Amino acid sequence: MTKESGIVATLMKSWGLAIALVAIGVALSFAHPGFLTVPNLLNVARQISINGILAVGVTLVLLTGGVDLSLGSVVALAGVVAAGMAHPGQYPVAVPIALGVAAGALCGATNGLMVTCGRVPSFIATLGMMTAARGLALVVSKGRPVSNLSPEFTRLGGDVGMVPIPAMVLVGIALVTFVVLSKLRLGRYLYAVGGNAEAARASGINVGAIQMFAYTACGALAGVAGVVLAARITTGQPNAGVGYELDAIAAVVIGGTSLSGGVGTVGGTILGALLVGVINNGLDLMNVSSYYQAIVKGVIIVGAVWLDRNRGKS
Amino acid sequence: MKKISFKLIVGMLAIAALGGCGRRGQAADGGKQVVVGVSLLNLSSEFIVMLNEAMEAKAGELGVKLIVNDAQRSAERQIQQVEGFIAQRVDVIILNPCEVDASSPAVDKALAAGIPIINLNSETKAVPTAFVGSRDEESARIAMEYIAQRLDGRGGVVMMQGFMGQAAQLKRDEGAREVLAKHPGLTLLACQTAEWDRAKAMSLMENWIQSHGAGIKAVFAQNDEMGMGALLALERAKLKDQVVVTSVDAIADALQAVKDGRLDATVFQDARGQGGTAVELAVKIARKEPYEKETFIPFKLVTKDNAGEVR
Repeated sequence: MTKESGIVATLMKSWGLAIALVAIGVALSFAHPGFLTVPNLLNVARQISINGILAVGVTLVLLTGGVDLSLGSVVALAGVVAAGMAHPGQYPVAVPIALGVAAGALCGATNGLMVTCGRVPSFIATLGMMTAARGLALVVSKGRPVSNLSPEFTRLGGDVGMVPIPAMVLVGIALVTFVVLSKLRLGRYLYAVGGNAEAARASGINVGAIQMFAYTACGALAGVAGVVLAARITTGQPNAGVGYELDAIAAVVIGGTSLSGGVGTVGGTILGALLVGVINNGLDLMNVSSYYQAIVKGVIIVGAVWLDRNRGKS
Repeated sequence: MKKISFKLIVGMLAIAALGGCGRRGQAADGGKQVVVGVSLLNLSSEFIVMLNEAMEAKAGELGVKLIVNDAQRSAERQIQQVEGFIAQRVDVIILNPCEVDASSPAVDKALAAGIPIINLNSETKAVPTAFVGSRDEESARIAMEYIAQRLDGRGGVVMMQGFMGQAAQLKRDEGAREVLAKHPGLTLLACQTAEWDRAKAMSLMENWIQSHGAGIKAVFAQNDEMGMGALLALERAKLKDQVVVTSVDAIADALQAVKDGRLDATVFQDARGQGGTAVELAVKIARKEPYEKETFIPFKLVTKDNAGEVR
């Protein structure tokens, strides 16, 4: 395969997903008049923000060939840590935000250390973190939701004009990550480590440092998601975020990132998150029974990836 | 006849022993401290945390030793915990069941081992020694009746369901639908699960506002977490003043919201009453005193008028 046809194939892949998204969008706008309206599309943007932020983070880890299962628990931990500092008149709003993100980054860095220095497979290391961070969130919050948060803090979950702040956060994060992955050496190293760690090491890349970066950044983004979630639901919930890691990984994989590392883009991840969000929204609008919603989602997740992969082959 | 008289004697001895060591059950003079094994549904749920605190408080008061295990929503783990209690030969087991069917073996095993077992808060298919709890249908009935009254029996209602298939979801569904059937003017516009979760409820409500808009006159959420999520979405859409929102459990956040006039009503499930009664019952059973086989702690509607009195 020449370089050019490789690019074409990659383009085809991401366009394939975009086409699927548009097709589902058109179908939904015929199925329900409320779908294709500005307020509803803003709703979708608002609702995919948390999953989108997590998905961008875990894209970095998946690119290096690892996985992060601790996201949902880290979201809860960051949320209760931030909420604990965000009572009215307590600290300036920057403090809870910074501490929430720091809690996430710390979890991520610990994951990174376990994987690099401890040589624990990422699946196991982050599985351990998933349990431990959940426990820590319960300890910090004494098992209860942390409420009575200042309006400055909860505003983070609201809108500016008509535009949801969580969605703006997602766009900002996606743009920065896009630049890192496509323009910076760091980005190329991430792909190299995931593509072939041995070759990367032989060519002088500090594989451990790159992995540490991926896990820490992923943890920090989970921290951001936790802070945004706490602001949106106006409490830090120790039991929030159960299963969020799987939603995030689903979005990333739908977006064309390989589970074995080295292949993937942020654009694809955002499209993946959008696809999941649009389906959720559409099924709610049409009042599809909860039982069937679960089935439809499962079929569409696998279907999207199957279509996408078979496109890439031909 | 022989057996009964034997029991009577033991009972009288127990009462005598009790009298001998004052109020506290923990007898300094050779009497045995009652040991109770507790397996709870999930200690990361606020209601269960309150239930646990109520039990600890009552146990401290009565000098009972509690061994508390958290089943973390897993019926299988719950059965293991009960097996553990049997191995430790505790005097009584208090089971806060995860599932109606799947937790039943825990009850059967305890009874087979001759250890009395009390079901707390929800039921299992197997019949335990005693039951303490509330009728979940009733909570939904109270909440929906309140909606019917506020809407004068006509208007569009949406319902947020708990985790599908769980006993609480099924029963609250049943209670709510019973009331809906009595008021043909109330139409159920939509009904979906938000899995007891505030964030999911908020998204669901946002979507419903898009699809039903001003048609929604009331929201019934099967727990307070979801009620709070629906409330937030309605407030952000500036629609709250047109919609009645009620939910069940009376957790701290919801009570505050009712006091502040944001949430219209919640239904108080008496954690203190349930937890305390269960421990009292355990002591009675351990001492072979007469006890109630079923104790139902009533629910109470909480609105702005009486929110200050609760707890």
